[in-house]
Amino acid sequence: MQKKLLSWFIVTILLMAVLPALTFAAPALQTGGAYTVQAEDTLGKIADKEYGDPLAYTAIVYYNNQKALEDETFTLIEDPNIVEPGWTIYLPTPEEANAYLIGNIEGGVFNEAPSLAALVDSGDLPPVEERLPDNPLIIPVVEQIGTYGGTLRRGFLGPSDHNNYVRVVYDALVRNSPDGSEVIPHIAAAWESNDDFTQWTIRLRSGAKWSDGEPMTADDIMFWYNDILLNEDLSSSIPVWMQNSDGTVATVEKVSDTEVTWTYDEPNTSFLLELANKDGADLLISNLSYAPAHYLQQFHASYADEAELQAAVDEAGFDTWTELFTQKALAPTNADRPTTAAWVPDGTTVADQVFRLTRNPYYVGVDPAGNQLPYIDTVEFTFFADKQTLNTAAAQGQIDMQGRHIDMSSYPTLKQNEDANNYHVVTWPTFGGSDAAITFNQTYETNPEIGELMRNQDFRIALSYAIDREAIKELAFLGLGEARQPVPAPNHPYYPGDEYAHMYTQFDPDTANEMLDSIGLTERDEEGFRTLPSGERLEIEISVVPAFGNWPDVAQIIAQQWGDVGVRTRVEVRERSLHFQMRDTNDLMTELWNNDTTGFPFSGQPQMDPRSTTATTFAPLIRKWYQTDGAEGVEPPQEIADIVAIIDEAKISNRARQIELAQELFQKWAEDVYQIGTVGLTPMVQGVLVVNDNLHNVPATAGNDWPLRTPGNTRPEQYFYTEQ
Amino acid sequence: MLQYIIKRLLLLPFLLFIFSVIAFALIQAPPGDFVTSYIAELAAGGSAVEQAQIDALREQYGLDQPMTVQYVKWITRILQGDLGVSLDWKKPNAELIGERLALTLLLGLFTFIFTWAVAIPIGIYSATHQYSALDYFFTIFNYFGIATPTFMTALVVMWLAFKYFGVSVTGLFSPEYIDAPWSWAKFMDLLSHIWFPMVILGLDGTARLARVMRANLLDELKKPYMEMARAKGMSEWRLVMKYPVRLALNPLISTIGWYLPLLFSGSVIVATVLNLPTIGPLLLRALITQDMFLAGIIILIYCGLAIIGTLISDILLAWIDPRIRMEES
Repeated sequence: MQKKLLSWFIVTILLMAVLPALTFAAPALQTGGAYTVQAEDTLGKIADKEYGDPLAYTAIVYYNNQKALEDETFTLIEDPNIVEPGWTIYLPTPEEANAYLIGNIEGGVFNEAPSLAALVDSGDLPPVEERLPDNPLIIPVVEQIGTYGGTLRRGFLGPSDHNNYVRVVYDALVRNSPDGSEVIPHIAAAWESNDDFTQWTIRLRSGAKWSDGEPMTADDIMFWYNDILLNEDLSSSIPVWMQNSDGTVATVEKVSDTEVTWTYDEPNTSFLLELANKDGADLLISNLSYAPAHYLQQFHASYADEAELQAAVDEAGFDTWTELFTQKALAPTNADRPTTAAWVPDGTTVADQVFRLTRNPYYVGVDPAGNQLPYIDTVEFTFFADKQTLNTAAAQGQIDMQGRHIDMSSYPTLKQNEDANNYHVVTWPTFGGSDAAITFNQTYETNPEIGELMRNQDFRIALSYAIDREAIKELAFLGLGEARQPVPAPNHPYYPGDEYAHMYTQFDPDTANEMLDSIGLTERDEEGFRTLPSGERLEIEISVVPAFGNWPDVAQIIAQQWGDVGVRTRVEVRERSLHFQMRDTNDLMTELWNNDTTGFPFSGQPQMDPRSTTATTFAPLIRKWYQTDGAEGVEPPQEIADIVAIIDEAKISNRARQIELAQELFQKWAEDVYQIGTVGLTPMVQGVLVVNDNLHNVPATAGNDWPLRTPGNTRPEQYFYTEQ
Repeated sequence: MLQYIIKRLLLLPFLLFIFSVIAFALIQAPPGDFVTSYIAELAAGGSAVEQAQIDALREQYGLDQPMTVQYVKWITRILQGDLGVSLDWKKPNAELIGERLALTLLLGLFTFIFTWAVAIPIGIYSATHQYSALDYFFTIFNYFGIATPTFMTALVVMWLAFKYFGVSVTGLFSPEYIDAPWSWAKFMDLLSHIWFPMVILGLDGTARLARVMRANLLDELKKPYMEMARAKGMSEWRLVMKYPVRLALNPLISTIGWYLPLLFSGSVIVATVLNLPTIGPLLLRALITQDMFLAGIIILIYCGLAIIGTLISDILLAWIDPRIRMEES
C-alpha cells in the first residue's frame, strides 16, 4: 500500500515537473488559444510576456471570461490578482488584445439586470451590447459573482454632505485601487506617458456613453478644458494640478475621438493621482476633468442663446450664469445632469429628504462573468438632521453599508446590537498618519517668546516624550491603533521604517524634563510651572475642534501630561469656523487635528507641504511667502525649504525615486516633529462601518482615505444582496 | 379699536426693517462666513480645498463685498418678493421653507391642541381639588415637566424606546413614506408618528399652562362673587365653568398670539434631536453653516409673525374680556 502511494507520488511529481516544461516549449504559440497557468504566473507577467504590456491583462480577463461562459475548460477569472497554477485560460491574439485595449472589438456576451431587460423588451432601451462600450471595464468581485436587485440604504447629513454621493459612486476617469497602492482604469480604458513624464495620453472606451445614452468622447474632456477650466468667468484661477511650473496652464489636446493628451512643460508624475480625484468632489467644477458637453452647453454663455440663458438664470433665482452653470454641472445638485457613474440620481438631489440613485443602464463596468454592473438597483441616502440620530439608526440596522458619520465612540453600541439587527461591524483603519496630532505653528507671532520656543526642535521633542500615548489610546481610542508619528502605514511603500514611525513616542517624562531644562526653561513660578525668560509663565494653547469625536478628550489628556513636566497647557475647544478663521489669520498657537494625508504627500493638499491650505497652522506666514513669491510673509528656514524641495523633486520623478523621496520626507517629518503624532492606525475617520449581513462583496479590509474615495475604491457596484 | 389696529399695522414695516438690520448683523457677527464654515465642514470630511478655489467661491457668492452692499442686495430682493437662494442648499429659500411649512404648522397645531386640551382640565381639577392626592400627583408631574429640558426628555424617551422596544421614534414618517407622494396611507403613517413629538414638545407647555391655570383659578375661587353665586343655589360645576374659569383663562388668552411664531419655527433643538423635517432644524443648520440669506429670511418671518401674534393677542383679549373692551371705549 505504502509502495503504491509512493510510486503514485513520484509519478505526480514527475508529471508536475514535466508538464510545465512541455507547455513552456512554445509560449508564443499560446496566444489565441488555451494556456495553462504556471506556478509563478500572474496575469500582469503573462500580459507583459505575450503583448509587451502588463496593462493588457484586462484584455486577457475579457477574452478568457467570454470564452469561459461558452466553454467549461476555461476558468472564469473573478479577480485578476488571483490566478491558480493549473488553470486553463484563454489568451487572446495580440491583435485581439490590442483591439480590446483601444476599444475596438465586436460582440461579446453580456447579461443585464431584469429591470433593464424588461425595458429592452419593450423597446425603451437599446440592448445591453449596444449600451456597453466596445471594451467594457471588467470589475473583479471580492467574494463571488453576485445577483441583481436590492437597495443600499445610507444616511446623509444634508446638502453639504454631497461628498457622501461622491464617495459611493467615485465617478472619475481613473480610480485608486481598493488598497490605495495604484491607479487603475475606470471610464478611461488606458493611459501612457512619454519617457520624461511631460505628456500623458488618456484613452477612452470607444462606444462609452453618458447615462442618457449620448456618446462620451474626447470632446467631453475638451469641453471641460476649453469651456470650464479656461473660461475666466467659471474658473478665476487654474488649479495647481493643471499648472506648469511657471503658473501657466498645461495644454490639453484632442488626438482622436477616444484619445486626449495632457502636455506639461516639465515632468509631472502625480498626474494620474490627481486625475483619480477629478470627480466633481466638494461640489466644485474645478474638480472635474470631463463634463457632458451635449447637456451643459445650454447653460454656458459661449453656446446658449443669451436671452434664454438669462431667463433660466432669473427663474432659478441666481445673479449670474456662472452660478446656474455650477449648479447644473454637478450631479448632487442637478438630477438631470448625465453622469458616467454606476448609479445616477432619480430626480432627487442632495437637498431632498431622500436622495435616491438608480442604476445607470449605460455604466461601462461588467463583472468577470459579463453581467453589467451595478448589481444593486438603488442607492438611497436618507437625511438625518443630526449625526447622533444617524448613529442610532445604524444600530437599529436601518443602514446597509456606511462608515461615514459613524462615530468611533458608537463602536460598543453598534457591536451590542449586531446580532439583533442583522448587520456586522467592520473596521477599516486609516491609511497611516496620526489620528490625533499636535501641530506647532512655526510662524507664531502673537507671543514672540513662545514662537521662538516652538521653532526649537528640542522643545518639540521634549513635549513629544511627555505624552503618555498608551493612556490616550485606552481613554480616547477604545484601545485601538498604535502610538506613532504621522507617517504612512507600515504596508505602504512610503513607510520610512519603524525607527521613524515610533521616534520620540515612548513616554519618558524624565528625558522631557531634562530637555526642557537644557533649553533654558529652568525657572518655575509659585505653582511649579515653567516660566519664559521674561519671567512670564509659559502657557501653551491647544486649539481643538470636536470634528471626529474624541479630540477634546485627547487634548485634555495631553494638557495634563504637559502640565506634569511643568508646561502649563490650556485647551480651547473652538467652533469649527472660528478655528479655521484663526488658522488663516495666524492666530493659532498649536492645533490638534489628524494627519490623513501621509499616503499622498505629492498630490492634493498634503499637511507636510507648508504651501497647502490644510497646513496653515504648520507655518501660515511661510505659506504666504510662497504664495506671494517672497513679497510677503516669512522666508522658510533651511529645514522647511528642504521639505519643499523634496516634494517638488518628487512631483517630477519616476515612481522608484518618488518612493525614495517620500521615505526621506517622512524621516525628516518624524525627526523634526513640527507635528507630534499620538495614536494612529485606528478606524477613527469613517473607519467603523456597519454592513448588512445580507450584503456581500464588501472587503474585510481596504485602504481608507479621502483621496481613495473610500468606499468608492472598494467598488460598491459589485456589492450585492443575497436577500433583502 | 380699529384705529389702534391700523396704527399697529402701519408700524409693522418699520419694525421689520429694524429687525432685518439686526438679524443680518447678528448672523454676520460670528467670525468667518459661509465659505469658511463650508471649507471647515469639508475638512471634517477629510477633503482639502485649494486657496484659489476658496477665493473663487467667495467671489461667486458675493461674500467678498462689504456687509452693507450684501445687506442692500438682500433686502432689495426681498422687497421685490424674491426670498433668494440658499447658499447651502442651492435651492430657492421660498421652496425650502415651503416644503417644511405644512408639517411644521401641523405639528405646531397638534402640540397646541394637546397642550390646551390636557393643561386646562388639569388646572381646573387641581384648583377645585386643591391638596387632594391627584393634585399632588399633577403638581409633581408639572414640576418635572417644567424643570426638565424637553430635548433631554426626548433623548431619554428615545433611548428607552430603543433599549426596551428596539424601535426608533425619530422622524415623522416611516422610511418608505419619507418622499412618497401624499396618500391616505402616508397620512395615517404621519398620524402614527406625530403623537410622540407632539407629547414631547407639549410636555413643557402643558406643565406650565396647568400651573398658571391652577393659580389663576385659585385666586378667583376665593372671591366673594363665588359665595354669592353658591348662596343663590347655582350648581358648583356650572358656577366654576361660567365665571372663574373664564376669568382665569384671560391671562392665558393673552399669550395665544405668541404661539404664532412658534407654530412657524417649531422647536429647534427637540426637532433636531428627533430628526423632524420642520423649519426649526433648517434655521439651526442655516445659522451653523452661516447661510445668512436663509437664516435671515426665517428670522425675518419669525419676527413678523411675533409682531402680528402680539397684535392678535391684544385683539383677542379685548374681545374676550369686557372690562378691557370698556376701557378702550
